[in-house]
Amino acid sequence: MAPPNNQKRVKGTQVYRPFVYGTIARLFNDETNPKPPGTPADHTHSWTVFVKGVDDADITYWCKKVQFKLHESIPNPLRMIDDVPPGGAFEVHETGWGEFEITIKLYYVPESLEKPQTLYHHLRLHPYGETEEEKEKMKQRGEVPAVVYEEQLFNEPYENFFEILTSPAPPGKGGKTKVLKGGMVSSVGERTALIPLTNRPGSEFSLETENLLLVEIRRAAADVMKMIEETKEDVVKKEAELAALRGPIQT
Amino acid sequence: MSSHDVRDMLDLPGDAPRPAKKQKIAAPRPVLKGLAREVQNLSGDNPIAIVPEVTVFKKRRFATRKPAAKWELKPFKNSARNEDSLILRHWRRKTEAPPAPVAEDGNGEPSAPQPASEIEDSTFAKFNVKVQTPKYDDEQYNTKLQSEDWSREETDYLMDLVQEYDLRWPVIWDRYEYEPPTPQMDVDVAVGAIIPAQKVRTMEDMKARYYSIAATMMKLNKPPELMNAAEFSLLELMHQFNPNQEAARKKFAEAAFHRTKEEAREEESLLLELKRILARSEKLTQERRELYSRLEAPHSQGNIGVYTSSQGLQQLLQQLMTADKTKKRRSLMGADGMSPAGPSNLHQQGSFDRRDSTNRESMSGPSGNNNKKGPSQGISERRQLTADEEKMYGVKHLDRITSSGPAFRHEKISKPITSKSSIQQQKIGNVLTELRISQRLRMPTEEVGKQFEILLQNINGLLDQRKLADKLAGEINVAKAVKAEREKKGRAERGEPEPGDEDGEGGAGAGDGQIKMEDGGREKSAAPSIRAGSVHKRSASVMSGVSDKSTKRQKK
Repeated sequence: MAPPNNQKRVKGTQVYRPFVYGTIARLFNDETNPKPPGTPADHTHSWTVFVKGVDDADITYWCKKVQFKLHESIPNPLRMIDDVPPGGAFEVHETGWGEFEITIKLYYVPESLEKPQTLYHHLRLHPYGETEEEKEKMKQRGEVPAVVYEEQLFNEPYENFFEILTSPAPPGKGGKTKVLKGGMVSSVGERTALIPLTNRPGSEFSLETENLLLVEIRRAAADVMKMIEETKEDVVKKEAELAALRGPIQT
Repeated sequence: MSSHDVRDMLDLPGDAPRPAKKQKIAAPRPVLKGLAREVQNLSGDNPIAIVPEVTVFKKRRFATRKPAAKWELKPFKNSARNEDSLILRHWRRKTEAPPAPVAEDGNGEPSAPQPASEIEDSTFAKFNVKVQTPKYDDEQYNTKLQSEDWSREETDYLMDLVQEYDLRWPVIWDRYEYEPPTPQMDVDVAVGAIIPAQKVRTMEDMKARYYSIAATMMKLNKPPELMNAAEFSLLELMHQFNPNQEAARKKFAEAAFHRTKEEAREEESLLLELKRILARSEKLTQERRELYSRLEAPHSQGNIGVYTSSQGLQQLLQQLMTADKTKKRRSLMGADGMSPAGPSNLHQQGSFDRRDSTNRESMSGPSGNNNKKGPSQGISERRQLTADEEKMYGVKHLDRITSSGPAFRHEKISKPITSKSSIQQQKIGNVLTELRISQRLRMPTEEVGKQFEILLQNINGLLDQRKLADKLAGEINVAKAVKAEREKKGRAERGEPEPGDEDGEGGAGAGDGQIKMEDGGREKSAAPSIRAGSVHKRSASVMSGVSDKSTKRQKK
């Protein structure tokens, strides 16, 4: 779709929106997660792939629909999820036995005049982690989440779309408040790029996590500086050694 | 008025069809039930074809008539009341007696006392829910709950009140009359002794104490990791209780309540004034910024190239003139005649620059009145967002945006890595793993991106240093070998015997050394340039320059 001429981009401006995407897989068992009838015998897990706002924030005002491209062996592998209510998640529920890469294509609202963008996500069915401990923990929980935080950047959005992104939700449409898990009230229609201040069970992406990550990266940067210093010393030493070795040759 | 009346007036022979018509009208009459007579008459000869259908619902009231339900006056009590004595009665529909009770009825007397004993409980008794207050034992109190301000007895007293009045704080506060237990002493001693002053507890004091106890007990009973979301948020809430703030809030509310009308009005007007001042200052700064940007607008850099030739200049003039004509305002060719040069020209040139190319092209066309919309005006047309709003809506103003359109932050952050060669990528990856930083950042936010960029720069510096170190190590090895060879040669020339273990393999070693010698010679040419630069004092960026040079040399 070529943008009509009367549309202009807002120069030098970038708007971002946080969201999360990923998968959550659960092993079939008789008590808590029984196999639905009609599932092939070799399927071992039920899983869900989703794209949604952080802390159930609304993303439907910029993300119109999402196409999930599943493995070819799954019947009807191209799944287009459309018409999600404000604050809802774009998701697909499936069962299966193998891990594979899911291609997630985000389609933006028509006002944005932007082309769809693609993300790739690896479906995780089996507990994973760097250490055995982490794996064990995941096993205990009974579900294998593989959820990542991402920020959607709109570089120089068109003016109409910029208006949509920067105005509060129309009051009639989604302005009603909704009680979240944990009894906290948030307004669904709020079109914000802010993320929660602290972690709550079930939503781990918050300023708190960000700060932890920042601390970690700063620490790593400092470590690298130290390593550079060490290497530099090493270099100086080696140069001296080399000079000492070379000296007699050149003279 | 019907048609035969008209005929009558005009003396037309209209008597003949009359009786037939009458019959006609008589016939459809019962069908046209829902129509007023006057309306029907309007139709005259042609009866109205469409009749509003009126459906009549007959209420069949007596069709399903059942015998009237039986009601009885039943006693009930309310278990919420502490005493059992009060028994009230209310009308209840008599339950259809199944066959069994009928048989019981036959028995008569023995079943009679039974219903009396189990008097129905009030339907509202279920709303009598008691609040669960935390319970603690002595040990828990002594280890976790002690407070300087609150004695154990008073805490117990508070807990009892809370239990009794179901956490209704105003009531609790009203009934709170704690008297510290007076020590058992003689009267005269007691008079002299310090009687502990009865503390006046505010509602906030009580709340703070209660919440701290409740939160502590909650944590004791269940570690926060295992709590579900609701419990956790409750715990957070209780932890966040701040008595001072609460007291201040109440004070403020009370003050606001006691305001006089004049004060309220004054406050309102002051607020209005403030708003006006703020708005004005905002406008002022905006205007100033606009002015500055106009002043600082750079003279064209790239575009001017087109206009350097005389042909280009002619074209520009043409463009400006057409634009001017379409504007139909203050003509460029007014006083100056044919000279479009001068300040106006400069101005236009400046505004060219700030406009995007499509807009500029449109200038040459007839739609030149677009000109009036300079970029600055475009911005002022758009709603100005405050800093808070910008933060909330995630709006950033960047100096340079490489490509417009949607993108993902993580992709952007990891671009410095992914754009490198796979070997370099692997090296960076190894360093990151060493630092225990995941390549897929958990939360790719803007700030994280900035920090990560710094980290990556550092890592690149480190990799350069390491490369240099490796190279030096190689050179040292070569130099050592060369030296050993020279010494060997020297010894051979002087006729000294080879020392130690090299004794046996003299011939082979010499051949080997020859090759190494050549190697050394080549390295030598490279070495001085590196040494000359006293590399270790340089910054990382220069470092990479040096390493670039050396790689180039290696390629040669």
